[in-house]
Amino acid sequence: MRRYEFTKYRAFGPLYRITHWIFAGSCLVLIFTGYYIYNPWFTTMLETGTDDFTVANIRFLHFAAGYIFLGAVTVRVYLWFFGNKQERITDALPINKRNLKNFWGAILNYLYIKFHVPRLGHNALAGTTYLVTFLLSMVMIVSGFYLMFPESASWQHWGLAFFGGQQNARMVHFIIMFYFIFFAMVHIYIAIWNDVMFGEGLVSAIISGSKFLHIKRPEVD
Amino acid sequence: MTASREKNIADLRLTRRSFIKGCAVAAAALGLSESMVPRLLHFQECTGCTESLLRASHPDIGKLILELISLDYHETVMAAAGYQAEENLRETMKKYQGKYLCVVEGAIPTKDGGVYCKIGGRTAMDILAEVAPGSAAIIAIGSCASFGGLQAAAPNPTGAVGVRELVTGKPIINVPGCPPNPISFLGTVLHYLTFKRLPVTDDQGRPVFAYGRKIHDHCERRAHFDEGRFVEQYGDESHRQGYCLYKVGCKGPATFSNCPAVRFNDVEQWPVSAGHGCIGCTEPGFWDNMTPFEERLPEVKVPLGEGSVGSAVSVGRKVALVTAGAIGLHAASGVVRRLVKGTAKKDEVRED
Ligand code: SF4
Ligand code: SF4
Repeated sequence: MRRYEFTKYRAFGPLYRITHWIFAGSCLVLIFTGYYIYNPWFTTMLETGTDDFTVANIRFLHFAAGYIFLGAVTVRVYLWFFGNKQERITDALPINKRNLKNFWGAILNYLYIKFHVPRLGHNALAGTTYLVTFLLSMVMIVSGFYLMFPESASWQHWGLAFFGGQQNARMVHFIIMFYFIFFAMVHIYIAIWNDVMFGEGLVSAIISGSKFLHIKRPEVD
Repeated sequence: MTASREKNIADLRLTRRSFIKGCAVAAAALGLSESMVPRLLHFQECTGCTESLLRASHPDIGKLILELISLDYHETVMAAAGYQAEENLRETMKKYQGKYLCVVEGAIPTKDGGVYCKIGGRTAMDILAEVAPGSAAIIAIGSCASFGGLQAAAPNPTGAVGVRELVTGKPIINVPGCPPNPISFLGTVLHYLTFKRLPVTDDQGRPVFAYGRKIHDHCERRAHFDEGRFVEQYGDESHRQGYCLYKVGCKGPATFSNCPAVRFNDVEQWPVSAGHGCIGCTEPGFWDNMTPFEERLPEVKVPLGEGSVGSAVSVGRKVALVTAGAIGLHAASGVVRRLVKGTAKKDEVRED
């Protein structure tokens, strides 16, 4: 039996954790309702003459969840610049020597080749993925508004410039949904994997805000 | 008594048809017609737009040509032919320099110097370049003249383009559709006759009075859409019930046009009321981005395998499956590794 000594460190502030769960919830709703809008699979067989407005309501849920998602993205971008050290985007992008090393280290780590001590913030591979996810979120938001307000002159202008028409925007919106499904699957798996491998409490960190590291880290106070 | 009452009511009633007729007559009486000397140029096309226009009823084409406008050159309906026709075109162009409306039907091929469409020995590009600069405005009738249409569908072998790609510095109104509703075209012309300016357009040059709304937003089947009652397959019970055609590929939600409101050629019908979804014919590139017409979303090329084509949703499902598989494999190899080597030793772990 090997024994590690763990020290509890504060990693993420409350706003960061709240936006995480808003992302989780709104993405779940958006993916479910969005897929339903693509293929409304459970209503045709029901009696006619009902007054439940299934598709209209599901579209409403989709739009509402979209606005909530947009709000969470806004807060997250704020934290990327004004949050604590772990929350800042620069802490986890491979833009300096430390993070470049960490980027390759993370890949070797996930390939079981060379293990890597978890750091307090995100590793550089995760940070890069979050940036990509943010950019795709922006595409989703713009295409979403373009589809939602097709008659508004300004959305029409931008929508045309970016996507070249409603149907193309719909297509882009639909395909990027699968990125979010992919992201959610990998994200959850990697979080659990890290927890199992290193015992840092990564999963609970996004609830409690604290991580456990089994080395002394001078830069952490 | 009932009969006489009905007669009275009928007498008092102003139908839409007589109203528009009245407007047209009033416009003619005001002498608005003089400024209007349109030239219809046919390029790479099927003449369907003219066919559609010939079936117009308020005003009908006879009234339009003989009373309202002076149509000096129309390759389908003019009496002149050959040299005489070309002469007509040149003559009136000179005479009405800067005043005529140029109506273009059909796409203009640009590849190999535009040799794929020639009239009287000259390429469509040349003719357009000659006629366009002297016009007051250009109306592109139909999706081909507006956006290239079928000829411009991938791989676009003749390099066909719409008028807006070639002509700059002239007001260009697009009246797309395959074919466009004659009401949208005549509405544009009458608007110009009446107000001496072109109607307000959207970003794609389409007059908003006709193309300002999505089909989906004033479709008679919309209530079924909102309720979630859909045709699953052509000819099924839901199809007979007249449910929404969304699931059999109706492109109404992506298409801007007035079809459900004005319908076609006085028979009060349009495609959706006849039981087939809209195919999105007023949108740019609809042969590429609206096909297959009976599917929700266009098929995308999958770079895996030789030229294989799959629908967006099957691509998505594959992504999800491959991800799940990769996760399973990764987890399994971790377990196997642990069984073989035991837990990670402290000296195996590197610091960041
Ligand atoms: S038939 Fe087409 S345009 Fe009409 S409500 Fe259904 S999807 Fe919309
Ligand atoms: S219903 Fe759609 S496909 Fe049919 S004419 Fe109108 S815009 Fe074109």
